[in-house]
Amino acid sequence: MTTTIATRFGQAVLVLLLAFTASFLLLQALPGDAILIKYQNPEMGLSPEQIAGIRLRYGADAPIWAQYGNTLVNFLQGSFGYSVQAGVPVNTVLAANAWPTLRLASLGVVVAVLLAGLVAFAATLAPFNWLRNALQMVPSLMISVPVFWLGIMLIQLFSFRLRLVPIINPSEFQALILPVATLAVPIAAPLAQILIRSLDEIETQPFVAVARAKGASRRFVLWHHVLRNALLPVLTIAGVLFGELLAGAVVTETVFGINGLGRVTEQAVSNQDTAVLQAIVVLAALGFVLINLFVDLLAPLIDPRLNRPVGATA
Amino acid sequence: MGHPCGTRVEKEANVSLQSLALLHRPLGWGLVALLLGSVSASTAIAQDTPIEGGTLVYLEQQAHTNLYPPAGGFYPNSGILNQITDKLTWQNPATLEIEPWLAESWQTNADATEYVFKLRPGVTFSDGTPLDAAAVAKNFDTFGLGNKDLGYPVAEAINNYQGSEVIDPLTVKFTFKAAAPGFLQATSVIGSGIVAPSVLEQPYDELGDATKIIGSGPFVVENEVLGQSLNLKVREDYAWGPPNIGHTGRAYLDGIQLIVTPEDSVRIGALLSGQADFIRQIQAYDEAQVEAQGYLIHSAPTRGVNNNVTFRPENPIVADIKVRQALTAATNAGEIVSTLFSAHYPQATSVIASTAAGYVDLSDKLAFDPEKAKALLDKAGWVVGADGIREKDGVKLELSAYESLPQPQNRATLQLLSQQWAAVGAKLNVLAGDSGSAIQDNLDPLKTPLRPAMVGRADPDVIKSNFYPTNRDSLLQKGGTNPNATWEDPALNELLLAIAAEPDTKRRLELTADVQAYLLDQAYVIPIFEEPQVFAGAPYVRGIGFDAVARPSFYNVWLAPR
Repeated sequence: MTTTIATRFGQAVLVLLLAFTASFLLLQALPGDAILIKYQNPEMGLSPEQIAGIRLRYGADAPIWAQYGNTLVNFLQGSFGYSVQAGVPVNTVLAANAWPTLRLASLGVVVAVLLAGLVAFAATLAPFNWLRNALQMVPSLMISVPVFWLGIMLIQLFSFRLRLVPIINPSEFQALILPVATLAVPIAAPLAQILIRSLDEIETQPFVAVARAKGASRRFVLWHHVLRNALLPVLTIAGVLFGELLAGAVVTETVFGINGLGRVTEQAVSNQDTAVLQAIVVLAALGFVLINLFVDLLAPLIDPRLNRPVGATA
Repeated sequence: MGHPCGTRVEKEANVSLQSLALLHRPLGWGLVALLLGSVSASTAIAQDTPIEGGTLVYLEQQAHTNLYPPAGGFYPNSGILNQITDKLTWQNPATLEIEPWLAESWQTNADATEYVFKLRPGVTFSDGTPLDAAAVAKNFDTFGLGNKDLGYPVAEAINNYQGSEVIDPLTVKFTFKAAAPGFLQATSVIGSGIVAPSVLEQPYDELGDATKIIGSGPFVVENEVLGQSLNLKVREDYAWGPPNIGHTGRAYLDGIQLIVTPEDSVRIGALLSGQADFIRQIQAYDEAQVEAQGYLIHSAPTRGVNNNVTFRPENPIVADIKVRQALTAATNAGEIVSTLFSAHYPQATSVIASTAAGYVDLSDKLAFDPEKAKALLDKAGWVVGADGIREKDGVKLELSAYESLPQPQNRATLQLLSQQWAAVGAKLNVLAGDSGSAIQDNLDPLKTPLRPAMVGRADPDVIKSNFYPTNRDSLLQKGGTNPNATWEDPALNELLLAIAAEPDTKRRLELTADVQAYLLDQAYVIPIFEEPQVFAGAPYVRGIGFDAVARPSFYNVWLAPR
């Protein structure tokens, strides 16, 4: 077990380094850079000499390998540089935005899981065949709804028309209701879809027939025998959904005008705020690594067969 | 300072009718509601006894960036700076005269190379330190000369600055390398807000943190959630408002809550559902729904270089003056305004706005005349090809421009322009791209033979700001932002410099008239409309004021009972 974790840790560091390097190279390859975008803006009214001076000060025209080395060393020391656009250190930007996104995302996941379970069980247990069929199509509908549209519609309906939840100056709880709902829907869709599929599949397995033959009700079998077996694919997809969560946060945070890494990402991309983007890429990579590690460690608890060495099953 | 409300509301009603008709909406009830709305709004404004107290919820479209005062050109920055800093002088938006504020009086020598300001006594920054001659000197030294070590750039509005001298604690003298007649006005602009000297000792890169900006203004930054919201608190001991602004004591509001709300529909919906009191940036097509509910549109002129497209004569196609003149004649600015905008966007009649200092009406040079355009292109040797686009020596009359995101509906404007030009056989490609590519391509006249632009500033210097190579360099001249440029127009540059250096006001306005005519005779620029900043407010928000270039001031704002 220790060797596994050590190997996984080594892999994680490698993934992070690769993510850092790839994002660095890609950002360098883009035309223009943050300093150009901010200071070449006519509203700043700077002369070419002044801009040249600023570029020199930021080291923006240094050779690429020197910039790479500098950035990497600074990253290792926990210093992510300055956000050219916001005019504050990147650390401040991350500190102000990490918690809101983390809270939004984790609540989003919880609600998404509940929603997915609800849809999947309803689609499996509903009384009539036509109703089951209709419910099975709900996930496709949920995934087809654009997040920004859903967000705006929720705001228009619940905040402006029914006036149930204020969007400006909401309480901490109110501030989360609509964004979490917006974020949860697209995350819940693939979860529900896979859960429905795998519930269907597992239900055809011989052991289910045995359990039913022993007199267990369909609901009991589903809950006690099928669900656990059906969870594994869902857990695997949950790791992949982390990316979806980040993308959802970008749109949700912008539409709702709330702080968070998603909105920071959106602004950093449009302004090519390299230092911020670099930090976010590494942070996102770290998130992926951690979630996948978590999924890998959790999987054997759900399905003990995964714990056995590969050779033994042969 | 309020708006001349009666006439303004009337005008708005007219426009809204027009725009409604244009949208082919059924009139009927909408019209009635609109008229009722306008009427109730204008009567409501008539009773005017300010009430102290309350917090204004102000929705801003974008987060602020750096709050170094000269970075105030960016609207989200100026929306904050204008509340927390004061300036030496106040430009009366009604008369454009320069009036006392932090400076009680001033003197200039005959050739405008020396200015002496006598400061008002008893003014303090919000941290308690005195706003004295040394503080003012430190501010202008930084604005005028920059600070290489800490990374401060030079302010756009301040030309030829040499240095300062503290004569006594309340008297400061500024000297200039060459005549600087625009300096007095420059002390009134948003970029010249005075901050505590300690602010200017911090690295430039850290001034995005609003809580670090210590000014002497009527409001103080209480706290900030970076990129999301900012709370301003009234300064109880404030007693130095500009004499002619209405009152000089503390602001009426207890505070302002500024919330960044990027989504247009959310800002407008929040205002109309009573969750917000005042919002910035309403597109022309949204004005009707705001007014229909009795809410007010506040449109403030920016009094500078009009919203336009500027040619880059380095490009071989538009190097020919006939082509530029033809495209000017092919442009139907009236159609652009009536189709896409509202009466808050007056059609341009010169390079600068009709509300700008030194404006002359040159609408005869901007007449829409497609026949003249075709004739000019024929004369210049451009022959209509099989696809309807003109050609000359195997080259198509095809031009490209990037849309400019900060300008209202710029993409739609360029697309309509493209249709108008197509009617005379010229093709205009409207490009959209990431900001990096746009900025780089905009420095290359071969890729972008024209570019949309505008500048707001209520001084004749604004024309130089837009066209002079070492300023915004709209034409991409030699010695400017394009390192490979070979083209320049020395006659134009001489005129621009003369405006910036002419100490005699009357002569300066004459030169301003000359340069407007010159720019249009050379057809360097096609002005389209006078760009306003459009805000909307709830009917109970009273006393909203704007500085001469449309920066909102909340000093006089009070909230009437709802």
